[in-house]
Amino acid sequence: MIAARPVRRPSGLREGRLGPGLLFTLVLVLAGLPVARLLAQALGGMDGAMALLLAPASLEAAWHSIESALFSTLLAMLLGGGMAVLLGLSDLPQRRAIGILFVLSMLIAPQVTALAFTVMAGPASPLLNALGLAPAAGTPNPLIGRGGVVLVLGLHHAPLVTILLLAGLKTIPDELAEAASLGGAGTGAILRRIVLPLLYPQIIAAMLLAFVAGFGNFGIPALLGMPAGYLTLPTLIFRRLVGSGAEVIDEAAILSMLMAILVLVPAGAAAAVLASTATRRSSERPLRRFWRLGPWRPAASAAAWAVVGIVLFLPLCSLLASALAPTYGARLTLNSATLGHFAEVLWRQDVTVRAFRNSFAFAGGAALVLALVAVPLAHALDRAPGRVRGFLLPLVELPYALPGIVLAIACILLFVKPLPLLGISIYATPWIILFAYAARFLPIVLKAPLAAMAQLERAQEEAAAVDGAGPWARLRHVVLPALWPAMAAGGLLAFLLAFNELTVSALLWTAGTETLGVVLFSLEEAGLVSEASAVALSATAVVALLVVVIDRLGDRLPEGTLPWRF
Amino acid sequence: MNRPIAALAVAGALLAQPALAAEGSLVLYTSQPQTDAQQTIDAFKAEHPDVDISFVRDGTPKIMAKLRAELEAGAPQADLILIADAVTMEGLKRDDALMAYPGADVAAYPEGTHDPEKYWFATKLITTGIVYNDAAPFVPASWEDLLKPEAKGMIAMPSPLASGAALIHLQTLTGNLPQGWGYYEGLAENGAVAEGGNGGVLKAVAGGEKLYGMIVDFMPIREKAKGAPVTFVFPEEGVSAVTEPVAILKSTDNPDAAKAFVDFLLSEKGQELAAAQGYVPADPSVAAPEGYPARAEIKVLPFDPAAALAAEEENRARFETIFQK
Repeated sequence: MIAARPVRRPSGLREGRLGPGLLFTLVLVLAGLPVARLLAQALGGMDGAMALLLAPASLEAAWHSIESALFSTLLAMLLGGGMAVLLGLSDLPQRRAIGILFVLSMLIAPQVTALAFTVMAGPASPLLNALGLAPAAGTPNPLIGRGGVVLVLGLHHAPLVTILLLAGLKTIPDELAEAASLGGAGTGAILRRIVLPLLYPQIIAAMLLAFVAGFGNFGIPALLGMPAGYLTLPTLIFRRLVGSGAEVIDEAAILSMLMAILVLVPAGAAAAVLASTATRRSSERPLRRFWRLGPWRPAASAAAWAVVGIVLFLPLCSLLASALAPTYGARLTLNSATLGHFAEVLWRQDVTVRAFRNSFAFAGGAALVLALVAVPLAHALDRAPGRVRGFLLPLVELPYALPGIVLAIACILLFVKPLPLLGISIYATPWIILFAYAARFLPIVLKAPLAAMAQLERAQEEAAAVDGAGPWARLRHVVLPALWPAMAAGGLLAFLLAFNELTVSALLWTAGTETLGVVLFSLEEAGLVSEASAVALSATAVVALLVVVIDRLGDRLPEGTLPWRF
Repeated sequence: MNRPIAALAVAGALLAQPALAAEGSLVLYTSQPQTDAQQTIDAFKAEHPDVDISFVRDGTPKIMAKLRAELEAGAPQADLILIADAVTMEGLKRDDALMAYPGADVAAYPEGTHDPEKYWFATKLITTGIVYNDAAPFVPASWEDLLKPEAKGMIAMPSPLASGAALIHLQTLTGNLPQGWGYYEGLAENGAVAEGGNGGVLKAVAGGEKLYGMIVDFMPIREKAKGAPVTFVFPEEGVSAVTEPVAILKSTDNPDAAKAFVDFLLSEKGQELAAAQGYVPADPSVAAPEGYPARAEIKVLPFDPAAALAAEEENRARFETIFQK
């Protein structure tokens, strides 16, 4: 997500340059190096590039990526937009619960959601069979193929749209709506003539970001598209690389550059649009919920709960049913239900147990390192000259804005040969995954401390300086106490995302460094659907637990840090 | 007891352990489903508790791509491989990547189940036949039945690009059926989907999304016993077969433990484990599990490994053009 750029004030303090220099070098290594390496490779391999890009398979995959991202964006806008209007402007009952649950659905890993929908929709669906609604045997699974990819991407990214639009609604001053209302305008007219035009930038940004998210997604087209031969760019690159090994890395690099270009244009546009609205402060008196639903209240409430059911409860129930069934396709009854698949993946299978351990270690390691540098880095960035900030802030965002598969390829290229000077290689070790995670999730960790830094009164720090406190003492005694909740929340959010991660590790794992995403995908591919469902549910339980922990920090955080608080 | 003597005593105790006890760590690359690979490793560990063995699982072509990339980089992670077919093993032997194990005890095994120079050893007999969902309109009996209009759009098959057994199957059927490659063209025309490996076929047919499939025998036979609505058929023309061979990589730094693992797979205990997992054991004296006909009744179609090895790339490419438009 694109961090809001804090408003810059002129610095009153002159510091030594060593600390910030080191911190900025870290940013250059984490974010700049992989991207530069990928660029060098793609430029070096330009000879065959046009032929490859114009090959039918590449063109088809590029088109599939674009169309699935476009159509899923439409769906996400409809669903997420509707939810934003209901949650932000109407007197919908149980708004808070609906909003939280809806947004939480986004935190379920995409591959988990995709798995849940495949086992839910086919003729073997334990849920549909229990209701007697399952399609007849011999009916293809309606969610395998283009329709399923579009639908699940759309459902998965709808909360993203809701979050952006709700934030936008908060910037609209209530006075405008009130004046219009006094002038006799009805609810519809206020929505059309005042809210919509003022919300325009956020709508555009939400569309662009939903497109970027859909375009770069790997888990959903991998589980729902590949079985029908519906390949998108990420799944095409993945299939080529695991099918033929490192010899196609040049091809992968060129396709990655194509993806990077197709993603960075809309991502950059979204950032620009959001930045242009950043000067507009939250209104003193934000828009009231002026839309009285009246007789439509029960219907609106039912519709909103139905949406929450579809994006959150239905997938979880379907995973549970599939994990409890004796085997995929067998009827689930009270007598046939078994906890054996959970025992298999949580105790017996070394690989899945190791994957839990690995995902904890990689996500935890990356989050910890990032949280430790986040406060000094946010401080240094806030105090840095405008030109330096203008270069470094977008650079920090790059590894997260790029599709995961592109970052993974960049890391392979960077580390496949031993490191210069040191002569050791971190390729095929846990360190390459840790590096990739640190690069990818740096902007997530940095976002809240940067926002908090912008709110920090500089006078305090200046007073400490007058008292003779050096830069590190000021950091410890003035900045850190104010920023630590933001740092902790950023670290935990990064942990959450890294714990769920599949795209990067799908290409970087090796014997012993499997992540949860990787084993889920590999179990599903081996036809062990019940075991895959048990892994998916267990991983989701960890995520749910973490959400509760992070939420506890919520009251001490700058507004907008936690996506599910609004 | 003073210190030097105590140290000597400890050293003596260590030396007194049986000289052949395997220890250290091993990495196995395998195409077995995860649950089977884990059981195999657990059973081996019960006999050799000092060996720390872990595995990586993927379809044979993918695991080979991984291994070949590592071999090229000069850093193979695997000590052992246990993959679908002997043709792939022959390729590795030709490329000088394997280590012979002349001491392996193959007394129980007929000739042809292992490499004459003992570079690789068959562990099972895995055939590829037809699976159908119990709700299917007809019970297939012959490979020809998959070309029937009633099966149109209802067939799943493993891709030779994702499964080693599927590649051998392709080479066997095109070499034995009267229409040769025409059979596969007919399948493509009848709407057969070939994406992913045997696991995907099982999922599609057990899930009722497809009603017929080509698949390795043990998956549907085993899942049927657990209640999945699938049945496996040995078609009347015969089946193709692979032997899931095991081999030690030349680059292993723990050959003793690796040999112990091969010994275990070839031992009666190892073979009985394979039978318990639902496979036909390679050792003919160990009985096949329930759900299979008597070994003599399984008609395996003839197959020329040398020709298959030579034409491997060509066959994959030809398959790709037929099935991927």
